[in-house]
Amino acid sequence: MTTEELEQLLAQQPIALLHRLARGRVQRHFRAGKRRLIEVLLRHSAENRAGFESDLVTLIGERQVRPALPSPQTPAARKPKSPSPARQSMHKSAEPESHELAITLSSWLEGLGVPPPKSFVADAWQEEAIAKLKEGDVVVSVPTGSGKTYVAVEAARRAIAENRTVIYTSPLKALSNTKYTEFSKIFGADQVGILTGDRRDNGQAPLLIMTTEILRNLLYDAGGGEIDVRLDTLGLVILDESQYIADPERGVVWEETIIFCPSQARMLLLSASIGNPHDIAEWITSIRPTPCHLVRHSVRTVPLRAGYLHPNGKLAPLFRTVGIPHGHPSHLHPEAKRLFAQYEDETLPSGRRR
Amino acid sequence: MPPSIHPVDLIIALRDKHLTPAIVFLTSRRACDEAMQAFDHSRILLPPPRQEAIAAVLEKVIAQYPSIAEHPLIPTVQRIGVAAHHAGHLPSWKIAVEELMRHGCLDAVFATTTLAAGVDFPARTVIITQSSIRKSRDFMDLTIGEVQQIAGRAGRRGKDLVGFAIVTPSPYIDLNVLTKGFTGHPEAINSQFLISYPMVLNLLKAHPLDQIQPILAKSFAQFQLNQRAETLERKLDELGDRMEPFGPRVCTDWITEWHTFDQVRRQKSHRTPVRRHEPPEVAARFHFLTPGRVVGFGRNRGIVLRQYRSKGQKSPMITALRVGGGITESPASTVTEVSDRVLDCVDAPVYPWCTPESVEELLRHLEELPGRLPELPILVPKDDEPIPDAIVQTLGDFACPTCPSRSACQRDYPLAAKLRQEQHRHVKSIQALRTSLWHRFQEKIDVLQQFGYLTATAHLTDNGEWARLIRIDHSLLITELLRADAFNGADPAMLAAVMSSIAHDDDRPGAFPRVSSGLASLLGQVRKLATSLSPHEDPPLLRADIAAVTERWIGDPGLTWIGLCKSTTMAEGDIYRLLARTLEFLSQLHTLKATHPGLADTASRAIALLRRGVLEELP
Ligand SMILES: Nc1ncnc2c1ncn2[C@@H]1O[C@H](COP(=O)(O)OP(=O)(O)O)[C@@H](O)[C@H]1O
Ligand SMILES: [Mg+2]
Repeated sequence: MTTEELEQLLAQQPIALLHRLARGRVQRHFRAGKRRLIEVLLRHSAENRAGFESDLVTLIGERQVRPALPSPQTPAARKPKSPSPARQSMHKSAEPESHELAITLSSWLEGLGVPPPKSFVADAWQEEAIAKLKEGDVVVSVPTGSGKTYVAVEAARRAIAENRTVIYTSPLKALSNTKYTEFSKIFGADQVGILTGDRRDNGQAPLLIMTTEILRNLLYDAGGGEIDVRLDTLGLVILDESQYIADPERGVVWEETIIFCPSQARMLLLSASIGNPHDIAEWITSIRPTPCHLVRHSVRTVPLRAGYLHPNGKLAPLFRTVGIPHGHPSHLHPEAKRLFAQYEDETLPSGRRR
Repeated sequence: MPPSIHPVDLIIALRDKHLTPAIVFLTSRRACDEAMQAFDHSRILLPPPRQEAIAAVLEKVIAQYPSIAEHPLIPTVQRIGVAAHHAGHLPSWKIAVEELMRHGCLDAVFATTTLAAGVDFPARTVIITQSSIRKSRDFMDLTIGEVQQIAGRAGRRGKDLVGFAIVTPSPYIDLNVLTKGFTGHPEAINSQFLISYPMVLNLLKAHPLDQIQPILAKSFAQFQLNQRAETLERKLDELGDRMEPFGPRVCTDWITEWHTFDQVRRQKSHRTPVRRHEPPEVAARFHFLTPGRVVGFGRNRGIVLRQYRSKGQKSPMITALRVGGGITESPASTVTEVSDRVLDCVDAPVYPWCTPESVEELLRHLEELPGRLPELPILVPKDDEPIPDAIVQTLGDFACPTCPSRSACQRDYPLAAKLRQEQHRHVKSIQALRTSLWHRFQEKIDVLQQFGYLTATAHLTDNGEWARLIRIDHSLLITELLRADAFNGADPAMLAAVMSSIAHDDDRPGAFPRVSSGLASLLGQVRKLATSLSPHEDPPLLRADIAAVTERWIGDPGLTWIGLCKSTTMAEGDIYRLLARTLEFLSQLHTLKATHPGLADTASRAIALLRRGVLEELP
């Protein structure tokens, strides 16, 4: 086989076969896309061409015995595809091929729309988080978009009503600014202040917004004997986006803040879904005077569906099911699978050259 | 087929299926900008009422943030209802886009994933075009948590019944990463506890040294280390159970005894020299040079703290505590005498390989030892002549050949030795897990003592008292610069310029203004100091061209924001961030008014000059 032929042969193989071929040869091969994988395999084959080719041939042989998945295309069929149809017609013909198990595009798109207006009723987990703050610290770990801000606002409202100071921190100045505007609308401009390194807007307000670094510095100053902000009246510290504790450079700031947070203040940690929120809660319980309660759930309030959009404008569901098949990454929709295989084939270097 | 979908086609497809508004996450700022350009001549215009709605929202935002009044993207945003939102933009522009999204005015926003958490607005649909992101100069696959954070922007509560996360391929995308991300559980997160100089100074300001270890023990880092230690302890318990049958026999430590005996026997029978090229007596002795062993070096004496093999030659080496308190590294061959005395020592994973208390204790014992000590008889195998078992016996070292449990020992040795080795490894690991934070803290203490910020008893010196207020990256460089009086006579522009070159950590190339000669020589001085500190703190990039941007902004109060942007190829969002970080650094210098009034004053004048125009718009 010439290198060219080998490359072509590799290009015709499904990615699964390439992964099997790469096993033991290429490190982290499962991370590479098809194009990259072929490049690396070719480079590797230089070292032991004969062994490599015979493995490839064996694997191809094995595949042909088994019932074929979308059949590997012949080189002739892989010529640049027929001129793409006009845009308009493409959208009409977007229905996937029927498949007994897989859903259709129209059922995937079904239910799309705006819900009827509803009066606000807090979720049970929101109520739970707010209620548990009476007894101790609270860690909330729920999916993005669930409504953590509501918990922060209500908790702050209660603390302010008891004449306590509330500090709300976010990891980014931009987020702080957004919350400053948002909270000013909710509580009134005189009730909300913002602190940055060189500026203090309304620093005497009961609800103070700052980045976590600024709070950490305040706590250090308090530890060194120089009280800066009224930490003695501090009743609640809210750390938003607290999954940042795992940030390689800045994560330590969240730890310092939690370790040095005055014991009379309650802590409310708001985090996106993480794998081990109970560790965080258990840790906080172990170092703080009150037990830390964990509120978590992983069900999205607005259900999510995943789709695949081909560069030619064709849309398909990504999975066989309408919703996300949790725990089953391989339950791909046959149409999405076919389109993606086609994409990989057509964007290969050899496919382009011709 | 194009390698990825054309932005215009994308918007058409999304509108057609009622999947707008959408956030389109792209790999780079450039991709976002190019996507916007793709609409320049497009005729997929919004109906006039929607265009007017956009204009109305923009007008309100502009009233608050005049800096974006002339933003070049405004016409496209208004005509087509699409916008770009990335780190190259001013914060005020990003606020405008977020505001438009909140009002439901836009069909799509092109954004980068670099700060998935920074995009705090939802949409009906999220378009994902990549499976990896750039993290500190390297492309890394998205984690499950990150995929869900990105996909999680899809589906607005109260505005959508369902949300859609749609993958559209681009070259080098790995679909597996994304499907796993959609369907998997987010990863557990791990502590990233870094011990910095300011942390050490601030902790020691508030607490005496002997209270530090309990404070470090409160960290999430230690919590997780303990979890790992507990797992190992459970394994250790299991190992203990499995070691049960291998308890004391005729001799208490039969495993070591058999090991030595067996080695000697093998060496004899094979008549091969020791694996390494060292004299047989050294090799034989090396087994006994274990921590706590009292040894003689000619007329001197010492206690072994650790044995190891040198990196290159793999020759046997020991670390020893000498009379007088010195700790030396010497080849095992320099040991002339191996006494039969082994003193207790609690070993540690890092230099000096046992705990400080232990070192003190050992030193006391060493000084009190009698003049002569019984020597350990060490059997040196001879290469040429095998030593008959009988001789081994008469030497009195090995009872094995005639021992009643000889066959049991022989049989059990391989397994018992393996288990014991594992035990030792676990014990070492557990110790390291329990003490590593404290050791890292002590390393920092050492450096701060060396530079005179801490006294020998780990109290803050006068310098330490003010240095602890500098709580930013490169704090050691900054405090050392202050001690060297490097900013004496520097004007606000120069001070701010140096601070920004310390703060800036992006090595993206570009064309920038030149620095003044005064600043150039000051930067040279800073660079020299930073290099000399590099064993203790990573030096910053110290880019002169970056310093020049700040110098111009402060040095020329008449310079407009547009003028500044025109003088460099940096994106305005980057310039803004550079100056904002410089502000942060300057405000830390400003806190030193008590000890460095001149500098604090220069810093506050620099802050006042810096905060103008765009930089005044936001807190
Ligand atoms: N109980 C609820 N019922 C209806 N909508 C809610 C409820 N709680 C929050 N929301 C809405 O959900 C959206 C997302 O909330 P947000 O706090 O930003 O999410 P998170 O911070 O968890 O990502 C907001 O528009 C909010 O008004
Ligand atoms: Mg939030």
